[in-house]
Order: sequence, then structure tokens, then C-alpha cells
Amino acid sequence: MDNVRPIVEMRDITKTFGSTRALRGVGLTVMTGEIHALLGRNGAGKSTFVSALSGFTPGDTGYLRIGDVEVKLDGSNYAPRIRDVIAHVQQTPQLFPLLSVAENLFLEHDDVRGAFGMVKLSRMNAKAQALLDEWGIDIRAQELVSKLDAGTRQLLEIIKALSRGVPVIILDEPTAALSNAEKRVLFDQVKRLKAQGVSFVYISHHLDEIFEVADTVTILRDGLVVAPRADVSTLDVATIANVMMGETTVRSSREDHGKAEDAPLLQAVDVRISEKSTQSINIDVRPGEIVALAGPVGAGKEDLAMILAGQQNPFSGTVTTPTGKMPIIGFVPTDRHESGYVGMLSVRENVSIGGLDVMSNRFGLLDSRKEKALVERLTTQTNVIASSLDQAVSQLSGGNQQKVVFARALCRDPQVFIAMSPTRGVDVGAKEQLYALLRDLASKGLGVIVVSDEEDEIDQLANRVVIVFEDKVVDELVGAYRMEDLILRMEGVT
Amino acid sequence: MTYGTDVSKPKVATSEMGKQGEKSRLAEFGNAFVAGGYTMYPVLLLLIIVGGLVAPRFLSFINIMNILEQVSVLGLTTIGLTFVLMIGRLDLSLEGIVGFAPMFAAVMLVSEAAGGLGIELPVWMGLIVALGTAGLMGAFNGFLVVKVGLNPFISTLGMFVLLKGGILIVSGGRSIYSPGESLTWLGSGRILGMPVSVMLFLGVAFVVGFIFKYHSYGRALYAVGGNEDAARAAGINVDRVIWSAFIFAALLAGLAGILLTGRLDSAVTTQGNGIIFDAFAAAVIGGVSLGGGRGTIVGVVSGVLLIGVINNLLTLAQVPSFYVQASTGAVIIIAAILTTVASRGSGVKTRT
Repeated sequence: MDNVRPIVEMRDITKTFGSTRALRGVGLTVMTGEIHALLGRNGAGKSTFVSALSGFTPGDTGYLRIGDVEVKLDGSNYAPRIRDVIAHVQQTPQLFPLLSVAENLFLEHDDVRGAFGMVKLSRMNAKAQALLDEWGIDIRAQELVSKLDAGTRQLLEIIKALSRGVPVIILDEPTAALSNAEKRVLFDQVKRLKAQGVSFVYISHHLDEIFEVADTVTILRDGLVVAPRADVSTLDVATIANVMMGETTVRSSREDHGKAEDAPLLQAVDVRISEKSTQSINIDVRPGEIVALAGPVGAGKEDLAMILAGQQNPFSGTVTTPTGKMPIIGFVPTDRHESGYVGMLSVRENVSIGGLDVMSNRFGLLDSRKEKALVERLTTQTNVIASSLDQAVSQLSGGNQQKVVFARALCRDPQVFIAMSPTRGVDVGAKEQLYALLRDLASKGLGVIVVSDEEDEIDQLANRVVIVFEDKVVDELVGAYRMEDLILRMEGVT
Repeated sequence: MTYGTDVSKPKVATSEMGKQGEKSRLAEFGNAFVAGGYTMYPVLLLLIIVGGLVAPRFLSFINIMNILEQVSVLGLTTIGLTFVLMIGRLDLSLEGIVGFAPMFAAVMLVSEAAGGLGIELPVWMGLIVALGTAGLMGAFNGFLVVKVGLNPFISTLGMFVLLKGGILIVSGGRSIYSPGESLTWLGSGRILGMPVSVMLFLGVAFVVGFIFKYHSYGRALYAVGGNEDAARAAGINVDRVIWSAFIFAALLAGLAGILLTGRLDSAVTTQGNGIIFDAFAAAVIGGVSLGGGRGTIVGVVSGVLLIGVINNLLTLAQVPSFYVQASTGAVIIIAAILTTVASRGSGVKTRT
């Protein structure tokens, strides 16, 4: 085994998305047969970085070498050149749901290719079954992928990557959807391959996993490396948390307008998010408080927010209010491009679709004077900057688009405001304005619920943090909680 | 770059305002022109001038009324179709409704000897039965799409074929002559020399255009077509909007069928054959996006008039009828290209 020359070398990698500099000159070195963990908070640039490594999202500038393949990054696509030396398992499985397990595993695989491009079916199924048995997964190779549960799918994605015989494998949050038993299987296989000289770049939100499998650690923060190649045995949880958090920076801080004696505006009573939920959830939202729902991506916080907003039905339980009259809810969805705004329509039209009933007369005709006045008031309140109210929202910057969505959600004078990922893909200036707006809403007596993946954001906003994991509430932070506690809770350490 | 320094920075978006201000007034006018649906009117005007020069008869009052009367059936169908296109769906069954609704009403009215079903409802019921039938068809279309979750292409295709067969079943394959005043007056009557059908077409166009622009329902249509999820997050009852769009479309197609029956003074088994293709063409030429969320009634009317004028001109120019059809097809493609290019130039995204 060649332990002198690293198998992966990356230098000065940069990547810019619009106005966001996601990577600002990042480097990485991975030795042969090493499990190298990449740590950093949400938004630190981990996923962007490994996507640049695999070519999935090409980096803008920098140098990359994997094995004998060298690439000078210039923004063009280099994925095909490194296809044979690296595999990338993404956070969400990229499988074909209507193909069988075997077909997914051996798609584009030389081993099962016969004459004239025909697929040797029996050979493929036999090989797939052998792989499944080796991993101890109890499914048939001919099963359709759409029939499998999330954990098995995730495992399948990993098997697919591991069985390609490449020397370097990226695992981006591989355990997010796995049960404990499945995790054990995964770790055993990873260690076996490691013994054979395969190298891993491993991203996880669970620090205990890092201590279990990783040899070395690199920590990212705000698109920069803050701790290169540290030996995992020299680190402990507190040190890692400190490095990930960085020095305390100047920023706005949370305010508390809630009063414990106020009656709740909205209550979740015995809510079970899905049939997977083993515990029911009970939470209240009181006037003047900002409650954050936090936890791993896709582990239930998003569903809980949708249920509270009335956008999704719970598996069981109810969302009610003590007064019996449901409050008006303003709702900002997670992905503004997908479900926040209507790009073709103007700022004015986008805001007013949030309250068509309040700005039209009893025949449903829009009162254009009322509409103009209301839209002007709301866009001023949310600081929307556009050439005119008739500008199409698709032409605005990300921050302004998000402000339009906020204005839309405020259209009907809500008592409860639910914002999912309120500042995702928004520049820092707009971010602070949105934070100020959310605090202002709370000070006016609204109940505010924020769903967020960013510790900083939660720390600056939330008076109460509800940690959701595996579709249940696992923890709650109240009052003067510390940033460190928050980070550790969100990383799965309790 | 620390947090602190950035917060103190002025708003990033101000640079955008400058960029917008640099845009010439001409470009802005062009955008408004395309967005308002006026793209095809210069082409229409050009055609009318050329037509007047080539065939002097073209500009006579009688001929113009003739064109308007002919396009009123297509016009109502296209406006109906626009409701459904606006929300990013389509409805092929409108052609079946154009034929079936008046035919069903006719066989309910006339005596068995005249080809009816022997029910012989009073004549004044004709209009109600026809529109009621059309409305029910639309409600069923909406049900299949909203509640059953079928793709509207396949569900309305099925309805289209089913209704075509239904026409033959209820009529026994024969046309019904003089089905009664209430079914024929709208299509054949005149007030002060002006055909009622033309007034109806223009009136409906005006009302629907008004609704699209100034009514909360119109705004909801644009929102659902532009981004269904965003409309839902905004609290719009998306299912109800989709369902109602199918009903309005069917009602207008039924009305179009009644006009046709009136003009022919009979419910014919082949009534409305091929009209759905012209309706799609007129809508697309008029700038309605098949992807939903974009289109105006002003534009739709231009598309309808364009198709009517071209057909009329080709006939007047004594182009053999086989060529008329082929040239209409060519014109549709050219007009669609024009519309797409124009909206691309204005920075407005369409999917035609």
C-alpha cells in the first residue's frame, strides 16, 4: 500500500452560487485506506465541497487530483474524467424507482453487458442477489426500488457506489435514513473496504459516528477550512463544537416577548407525524414567542411545520386552539422557487394572492386601490426592493423574492406566522432584515414558528427550540440556552 | 468577511434598481405590448390591408360580418379552452361538448317523428338542457382530474371519444332539423342587423377578459397556473379553481355548440368536428402558454380573428380547399414561432 502519496489532493477550490461564495479556497488531502471525516455546521460548505470533489457540481477554480487523474478546475464539467476513480453517495438516493434492485445496482456495468449491448439478465440478478446476501439485506434482486423503504434505498445507493470498485468513495450523510441495525451493517462494510485500501470522505451530523469510524477530520466553516487533517483521537466533542462555531461574531440577538401566562394561539395535541412516529407530539405556540423547530433534514421538523400550518394532515392527532376559533396563519414554505412565489407574476400580484378575499368586494372584484395600498404597506414592512410593484418576481434577487413571500404571508393579518427556512439562499443584509421582521412580528403578539437548519439563525431568533428527530420531539431548549448546547443537540449528541 | 461588517452594508438589491432604470422606454413598451396580448394585432392589421388590396370584396360589411359570425363559435370554444390552459391543464373533450350538448337538447325537444327521444320537453327548456348538459360534462372532467387524479390529456381524450359516440347514440346517427327557437335564436337571430352570435362572442370575451384581469377568480387562475404549490401555500383553494375552470370551459363550449346549431338551424352529427385543433391554435397564437399562468383574452381574440381572416382570405382568393387546410397549418406554426420569439425577446417565459 502506498501511504506516502495521498490518493486525493485538492487545493484552493472555490465555488460561487450567485452572490454567495460557498467555497473560498478550500483544500483537502486524503490518504489511501483512510476514512476522512468532513465536519462543519449547516451551510459551512461540506456538501458543495464534496460535490466539487466528485464533479457532481463542478467547482469554479482550483486543483484536484484523485489517484493519477489531475484536473484544473475552470467551471467546466469534469465528472466523466474522474468517473472511474470516485463514487459519490448523495444525501438523497438517486435511484430509478421503476427499475428493479438488480437493474439499479448494475446500470451501465460492464459485468452484465453482453453482445450488441444486451443485458445478461440472469447473470445480473445472480450477482445482485449475491451482493444483497453479502450485506445481509433480506430483499429479492428483482424487487422494484419503489417498493423499498427509505433505509433500504439509502443502503442500496451505498452498495451501488461501493460495488463499483473505485478507490475513493464519498458518503454524504449516509446514515440519515438508516436504522441502528442498518448502520452496523454499513460500518462493517466500510471498515472491510478500508482494510482493502479504499478511501472514504465521510460527512455526518452525528459526531459519535465520526469517533467510531473516522481516522482523520477536516473542519469547514463559512466556506473555509478551519482545522485541516486533525487526527480524530486528538479531538473531543467540546473541541470540535468550538472549532465549528468559531469566535463569537457581532450579530443581532434574540428578544423575548412571550408571556408564560398567555393562552396559546395554536396547539398540537397528540400529533403523530407519520406511522413511523413512536411518540405523539404536544406543543403550544404562545403570542410573542419565536419557536424554532430544529433537527436533521427530513427527520420530521418540516412535516411538523406543515401540519401546524394546516398544509398537511397529521397521521393522527389534531391541531387546535383553546379559543376554538383557529387563528389566521401566515405561511412561508421551505423552497421559495418551488412553492413560494409565482415567478411570472408581478410583485403586486404575488403579494395579493395571499389575501384575495380581503382585498376584493362582495362580488369578488379586486379593489385595486385597496390592493395597491395593502401591497405597498406590506412591501415596505418587509423591505422589498424592486423597480416597481409590476416587476416580475422572477427578476428579483433571492433576498427580495423571499421578502415578497413574507409580504404575501402577512397579507391576511395573521396571528401565527410559520416560516420554513426563512433565510435560505438569502444574502446577509436581507437575512438581518428578515430576522428583524420576525422579531417585530413577535413583539406585536404574533406566535412565530421558524424551521431552520442553521444554528446561528435559531440562536438569533428562537426563545424556544424544539428538536425533532425520527418524527418525534426528542428535546427542547428554553430560555437562555447556550449556542454550544444547540449545536450538540442538532448534531445528535444529547 | 465577518457577520458584523456585512450587516452594516447597504442593501445589495439597490444595484438592481439602477439596471432596471437603464432599460429604454421602448423596451418597456414592447414588454407591455407582448404581456397585454397585442403581439398578433399588427400581423392581423397587415393581413387585413393585404386582403383588402388582393380581394376588394374582403373589406365589405357583409364579408366582415360573415367572418365574425364564423369565428364566434371558435371564439367561445377558445375562450373556454383558455380557462383550462391558464391553469396548466388541457381539455380535448370541448369538441365533443360542442356537438353533444345541443344534440342532446334537440333530441329532448323534438317529437319522435322528427328523430327525438319522445320526451318532447317544452321548447324554452332547450337552452337550459344544453347548457346544463355541458356544465355536467365539465364537472365530470373536473372530478376526474381533481378527485381521481387522472392526467387531463387522457381523461378528456376519453370524454371526447365518448361524447362523439354519445352524439350518434342519442340521435340514432341522424341530424335533427329545426330543433326549436331557444336553441337556434342565439346562432341565427339579429338585433339591429347585428348577428346575436357576434354580440355574444364579443360580450363573453369582454366579461371573461374583465374577470381575468380584475376579479379575484382571475388572479387565482394565474396563480394556480404559474405555480400551483405557491398558490396552495398562499391559501388559494387550488382544487376548486381547477374544477371550476373545467366547468367554465365546458359551459362555453356548450354555448358555442348552440350557436353552431342555430346557424345551421339543425343539430348535425358532425357538428364541431376538428374545432379543438383550431381552438388550441388560436389560444397559442394569442399568447396563451400551454404550461399555464400566462395568457390574455385580448390575445385569444387576436388568435381567433387571425384564423378566421386567413380562412376567409384563402377562400376569397379561390385557393383550392385542400390547400386551405394545409396553409392554415403552416400559418399556425409561423404564428406560434412569432409569439414565442416575441415573448422571449420581452424576457417573458412561455411554453407553447
